[in-house]
Amino acid sequence: MRRTLVIILALAAIIVGCFIYYAFDPSSSTLFPQCTFLSLTGYKCPGCGSQRAIHALLHGDLVEAFKYNALLLIAISWIGLCLYAESQRTRNPRLYMRLNAPLLIWLFLALTLLWWLLRNIFNW
Amino acid sequence: MQYWINHNGVQSGPMDLDGLKEMGLTSSAYVWHEGLTDWVKITQLPELQGLYDIPVGTPVEPQPVENISTADASQPTPPAAAEPGEAIQGQPYQQPSQPYQQPSQPYRQPVAGEPCPPTNLAWAIITTVLCCLPAGVVAIVYALKVTNKYNEGDIEGAKRASEIGAWWCIASIILGILTMPLVSMISSLATSGLQ
Repeated sequence: MRRTLVIILALAAIIVGCFIYYAFDPSSSTLFPQCTFLSLTGYKCPGCGSQRAIHALLHGDLVEAFKYNALLLIAISWIGLCLYAESQRTRNPRLYMRLNAPLLIWLFLALTLLWWLLRNIFNW
Repeated sequence: MQYWINHNGVQSGPMDLDGLKEMGLTSSAYVWHEGLTDWVKITQLPELQGLYDIPVGTPVEPQPVENISTADASQPTPPAAAEPGEAIQGQPYQQPSQPYQQPSQPYRQPVAGEPCPPTNLAWAIITTVLCCLPAGVVAIVYALKVTNKYNEGDIEGAKRASEIGAWWCIASIILGILTMPLVSMISSLATSGLQ
C-alpha cells in the first residue's frame, strides 16, 4: 500500500519534471538552478550539463545530450536497470546481486572519476 | 510446535512462533512442520496469521509461547529434496553450488541466508548525476563497501556501510536542493550588479 503510493508519487514527479524540462530550455532560461560545485570551485562536477542534456534528450536529440553530459545517458540506463532489479529482488535475487557486484560498481566509479577529470582537462 | 522456513530460496529452522515473528517474513515464504507432507505457503497456515508482512520497525510483542529446546537430537527434519514450487527461482545467496542443504542437525540460528543490505546504488548514481555536489561519488564508494563486506560474510559491516551510504545520498540531495537556488541567486545578482 505504502509502496504503491511512493511509486505513484515518484512517477508523478518524473512526469512533471519531464514536462518542465521539455518546455523550457535550461541553457537560455535563468530559472534553472546552477551547479554549486562549479560556482564555488570553477571546476565542472560529473553532473554538470545534466539539465541541458535532459532537455535535449526529451527533444529526441541524443547527440546533443551526449555533448552536454556523456555520463548522463549511461547513468540513466544504469539507474533503470538498478531500479528494475530492486523491484524484482524477491523474485529474482540473483539479478540484484549481479548488478551490485563489486566489479560493476568499480567500473561505474572509475567511469565517473575519469569523466570528471577528463571533462575538466579538455573542457567537455 | 517447531517450524522450518523457506524464504526467498533460503531455508532455516527449526524455530518457534517468536522466532518466526522476528524473521521479518513476507507472504511469499514457505513453511513446514512435523505432520505436513510437503511445504505449504505461510498464508495457508491459520496459526501463522499476523506473523508475516510485519512493517519494519513494529515492536515485537512478547507472546506466551511454549519454549521448546532447540538442541534436541530427536528433531524431525523437513521433507527431502524440498523444492517448494515457485519459491525457488533464484538460488540461495551464498551457496550457489548446493542450493538445498538438508539439515543434518537442527540449526541453532537461521542459516547464512540473510540477504545483502541495500547498496543504494541507484540513489548514489542519481545524486552523482543530478545534485552537483560530488557527495554522490562517496555514496558509490559505500555501495561498493556494502557488497564487498557482504561477500566477506561481514553482514554487520555491510549493514553499517549501507546506512552510511544512504545518509550520503540524503545529504547530497538536501545540500543540492538548499545550495543550488542560493548559488544561482547570488550569481545572477552578481551579474546584474556588474551591468
